[in-house]
Amino acid sequence: MTSLGSSSSSATEYTVRVPKNTSKKYNIMAFNAGDRVNCSSWTQARMERDMSARRIYGEEETQEGAAGSEFGKKQREEARRKKFGIVTREFKVEDQPWILKVNGKAGKRFKGQKKGGVTENASYYIFTQCPDGAFEAFPVHGWYNFTPLAKHRTLTAEEAEEEWGRRNKVVNHFSIMLQRRFREQERGEDEEDEGEKSGKKKKKSGGRGGDLRIHDLEDDLEMSSDDSDSSMGDDGESKTKAKKDTGKGKKKKKRKSNDEAIEDSDDGDYEGLEVDYMSDESSSDEEPEKGKPSKGEDLPKGIDEASESEEESEEEKQNEEEAKEEEEEEEGKKTPVQTEKKKKKDSSGESDSSDDSDIEGETASALFMKKRTPPKRAGGRGSAGSSRTGSRPGTPSIDSASTSNTLRAAASKLEQGKRQNQGPGTDSPAAKRLKMEPSSQSPAPSGKSTPQPPSGKSTPSSSDVQLTEEAVRRYLIRKPMTTKDLLKKFQTKRTGLSSEQTVNVLAQILKRLNPERKNVNDKMHFYLTE
Amino acid sequence: MTDKTEVNLSGVKQSKGVWLVKVPKYLSQQWDKATEKGEVGKISFGKKQGKTEVCFSLNEELTVLDAVGEKDASLQVPRDHPFTMHTVGGQTMAAFSQSDTDEISLEGMVVHRAECRPVVSDNYMKLKKLQIKESTKSPRLSQQLERAITTVFKPVANHNFNVLHDKKKKLEGKMVRAERQVVLDMLFSAFEKHQYYNIKDLVDITKQPVTYLKEIMKEIGTYNNKGAHKSTWELKPEYRHYQSAEEEVPTA
Repeated sequence: MTSLGSSSSSATEYTVRVPKNTSKKYNIMAFNAGDRVNCSSWTQARMERDMSARRIYGEEETQEGAAGSEFGKKQREEARRKKFGIVTREFKVEDQPWILKVNGKAGKRFKGQKKGGVTENASYYIFTQCPDGAFEAFPVHGWYNFTPLAKHRTLTAEEAEEEWGRRNKVVNHFSIMLQRRFREQERGEDEEDEGEKSGKKKKKSGGRGGDLRIHDLEDDLEMSSDDSDSSMGDDGESKTKAKKDTGKGKKKKKRKSNDEAIEDSDDGDYEGLEVDYMSDESSSDEEPEKGKPSKGEDLPKGIDEASESEEESEEEKQNEEEAKEEEEEEEGKKTPVQTEKKKKKDSSGESDSSDDSDIEGETASALFMKKRTPPKRAGGRGSAGSSRTGSRPGTPSIDSASTSNTLRAAASKLEQGKRQNQGPGTDSPAAKRLKMEPSSQSPAPSGKSTPQPPSGKSTPSSSDVQLTEEAVRRYLIRKPMTTKDLLKKFQTKRTGLSSEQTVNVLAQILKRLNPERKNVNDKMHFYLTE
Repeated sequence: MTDKTEVNLSGVKQSKGVWLVKVPKYLSQQWDKATEKGEVGKISFGKKQGKTEVCFSLNEELTVLDAVGEKDASLQVPRDHPFTMHTVGGQTMAAFSQSDTDEISLEGMVVHRAECRPVVSDNYMKLKKLQIKESTKSPRLSQQLERAITTVFKPVANHNFNVLHDKKKKLEGKMVRAERQVVLDMLFSAFEKHQYYNIKDLVDITKQPVTYLKEIMKEIGTYNNKGAHKSTWELKPEYRHYQSAEEEVPTA
């Protein structure tokens, strides 16, 4: 059409045409301003419909005929739906979203979702100017909002929920995705071995398949501090086998320590708890505690107990501690923290070292300070309920009985010496040691005899308390005890002997030892002097 | 659908700019009535006090409005429509087209947005009034009839459908018991297709009286009382051999 040239008053006129027979359907592709999409920079683009919703509609395609099928099932199903008024929406191809891939494999990807209600009340037209100056108007059939798709790996909904539950504990967030890649890679490699035979490359599918697996992330989380340092800048796909092996090895190691039943602490467990006071020394206490058992004096009660337990490397000493602690429990002055911890440990058997190590690196709270008993504890870890010999990350918890007696003996001698030095020291009341005071008179004979009953509460589990002469000798050297006390030391559950046997054996041992006697509180106490 | 369509980027490469114009429904309806050539009007660019003014004027012949049920020559669609121009703002918009052959091409980038507004006049107001009246009309209508409808649903001695049905039944006659072996063959071939059958369906297939059929079925099959396939018959395990739609039948 000829366009009129400039007419009066500097107005230019152009004809507007609405072509009738156009075979093309026009749509709008809208991007978000923040995405800064520059269409002119695209070299190549591919677009297709996203048909993933079709599965949902076509899922009734169960196997026809043969096993499992009923005659006329389809019709019956349809009739049933009609009766209940269930209307299934048709799968319309035009309403499906678009997938736009720009610049090939390495480029961006967009998903274009159809915006509804665009053509209901008003019509949109695209006006283009033709070479002859006239305008052509094309109606817009659909409006699609294109959003960029993330190319980096993301967590699935389940994984995200798990991580959310751990948000207070996890400090190193980089490790979260790292762990995921580890897992995927392992799975991918497993499948690759199979896939190699079939000649297919299954790595990718293995990785994707891993999305839905349920696993215990606690293992992985513990590795966070170790892994992150070593493998920070690593590309997950290209991890070397060595690394993978170390990863696996670490995992196994961690898993060992996780083998015992550990009660998971839920998110809000520690929130309302009261503590004496919080100190910043917690997380770094691992090392110093190793070498300074005497440090316990000035620290709050939690550490006091820890240090007291430090002094005793052997079970019997730990038993004493337990007795004391239980005594305190009875007195009802325990903070909820400790009670809870106690309960946890009592129920979980061996130390929840892993749990500790899990937490210790993260939150610096004195709640967990008392767990930090030094690793030389290792020797004496055999005892069952003595949970406070806690946290040694990285070392699998010692399976008790197997710990060499020599180690224990050596440690015990060490401790013995120290204990006698610190005997008076620990007695000195620190600021908040009130609770300890009744029990801190432990050297005094009377203190020990009374709270014997609670020791019965200590949890029996794997233990190697042997009713030996050596053991009895040790007890008696430390302090005078009645026969009753001795018996309680060697509980039937722990030694595996029946009560009659225990009595007999104990009697024999005492005959052999021939300890000295002393009458305290009208009770006959035995003791030995070295 | 699974093929990825290569997008023709020529429009964007040439930096073709297009306008996205929002047009009222009545105007687009008038445009649909345009002739083959497709000319609908003229657009003019003028400058008033430094500002560019864009105005679209509809062609004369298209201003006639076909009102519903009324020959209203007085009602006319307004002719002049100034465009309100907006810049695209932050949003990047492009126009892509999809042809019948599923070819996608990017036609161009949207450089301006515009809204087509009519010049408000009495005429326009009348038009709007009409539109509103129509839209408020409910699709359902209750109407009182003066007389009862007598043309449909007349009382009948026997419905046509029933009559035919009875005739058909008579023709078929009672179901005759066929040879046992014949029936067995029929049953086995039926069970090859599906595993579970209702007794009614079996009767349908074999055309045998129910008691006879039940007898035979008791011999070769079991009845499911509960489970997913309730009250259905299936073959006994020794008779069936389902293996990806294949079945072997041991001789009875």
